[in-house]
Amino acid sequence: MFKKGILRELFDSLFSKTWPMWIGGILLAVLSTLLFVIKYPWGASGGYVNIGQNLFHWLGVSSLGTNTPINLHTVALLNIFIILGAFVSALFSREFGIRVAPVGELVKGFIGGGLMAIGSTVGIGCTTGGFFSGVAALSGGALFLSLGFLLGTIVALKYILWEMEALPGISMGKSCTLLPGSQPKTGWQRWLGWILILAVLWVVHHYTSQGTSTMKVLGWHILIGLILGIILQRSRYCIVRAFREPFMTGEATAPVAIIISVIVALLGFTVIKYFGVGNAGELSVRAIELKSVYANFWLRALIGGFIFGLGMTIAGGCAVGTLWRAGEGHVKLWFSAAGFAILAPVSKGFIVPWVMKIIPESTSKELFLPDVLGYTGAVILVLFILLLWYIFVKWNEKTGKFSAL
Amino acid sequence: MQVDESLDCKGLSCPMPIIKLSKAIKKMASGQVLELLGTDPGSKTDIPAWCEKTGNVFLEQKEEDGAFKFYIKKG
Repeated sequence: MFKKGILRELFDSLFSKTWPMWIGGILLAVLSTLLFVIKYPWGASGGYVNIGQNLFHWLGVSSLGTNTPINLHTVALLNIFIILGAFVSALFSREFGIRVAPVGELVKGFIGGGLMAIGSTVGIGCTTGGFFSGVAALSGGALFLSLGFLLGTIVALKYILWEMEALPGISMGKSCTLLPGSQPKTGWQRWLGWILILAVLWVVHHYTSQGTSTMKVLGWHILIGLILGIILQRSRYCIVRAFREPFMTGEATAPVAIIISVIVALLGFTVIKYFGVGNAGELSVRAIELKSVYANFWLRALIGGFIFGLGMTIAGGCAVGTLWRAGEGHVKLWFSAAGFAILAPVSKGFIVPWVMKIIPESTSKELFLPDVLGYTGAVILVLFILLLWYIFVKWNEKTGKFSAL
Repeated sequence: MQVDESLDCKGLSCPMPIIKLSKAIKKMASGQVLELLGTDPGSKTDIPAWCEKTGNVFLEQKEEDGAFKFYIKKG
């Protein structure tokens, strides 16, 4: 592509080896902080909901539809351009390939996506908006959501290990890989990557040149989505692993990477909330403080988190993990994305109202931790929980006490 | 290299290759070699890391016909 020289070296250093996950984690935390300043901390499930609602809108099911088209929805655009960014990154690193998994795995992808849709609408938030951004945003509900993810992951992992013994046929059978980038004569894939980057930059320009602040915000979401997708694919950043690995292989690499990334986001988010940084002209400082703090404390978050934890472990990727793996060509995760988008509006319309009737109103409250503990107390509490988790995963990595494999 | 067992994980994504690998290696004798065929780029880092953690020996990795081949000796 380039004459062998310093630019080629730079390209190879970015796209020949997988980046350490903690480096990806720090970069993602910085970008999530930028998203917070521009509009709202990073999330993903709201984008699936919007895409699903548009799908029902086109199908004429107006009760499950929406009036916000995908091209005007910040989170839906983020999701789509994360897929595209991961696609470009996979093309550049010769890791793209349409990997068709056995039928049983595709079904598990769809079911996992559907469970994530139910979990994220019931609990309000996925591992990105609810956990990664929620914990950094000092949300009380986010702590219970995280506990739910953990419990759901443990149960689903037990299922997968059981399935491997009792029903091994599910993950066996016909599979194939189309257009693998690792084969010779696939240089065109890198050129396609460059063409896509130029196309995305043109789209960003198209949005930002319209002049209105809404369009500028959308344009930046497209650009940041592309960058997020590249970072996610290169670092194989995976929040499922952060919850699952201590109970599977016992490795602490992913949990530690996610702890580092939450701490960086915590620092950025706390500064923004403490000083009321951002669009303060339109929003009060209080509204900024309450961003990524949802009315899910505590039971609502715990139930939703549990269901989501089941789904992400069965699918093999959370809301965001599904996006970048879909971009890399894993067809199982295409099914997960479809299950998520299709079930999300259905869950919002039917399952969430039903759950809200059953659980006491006092267990779905908005809790901003600094309201109870002050900013110092809230930050110390979050850091203390992260420290306990760190000690657990590192101790378990050495002893293997809780690891199944 | 003499391969004693072969494990097909083509088309599968994380965590299935590692779970299948762990199950297969448990049934083998120390010193035997397992060949794992896979297509998930994540396996390129996951399998060596798993071998190091579990005391098995990661011998080598090849790419052929769009699939990866990993060779692991049971420790």
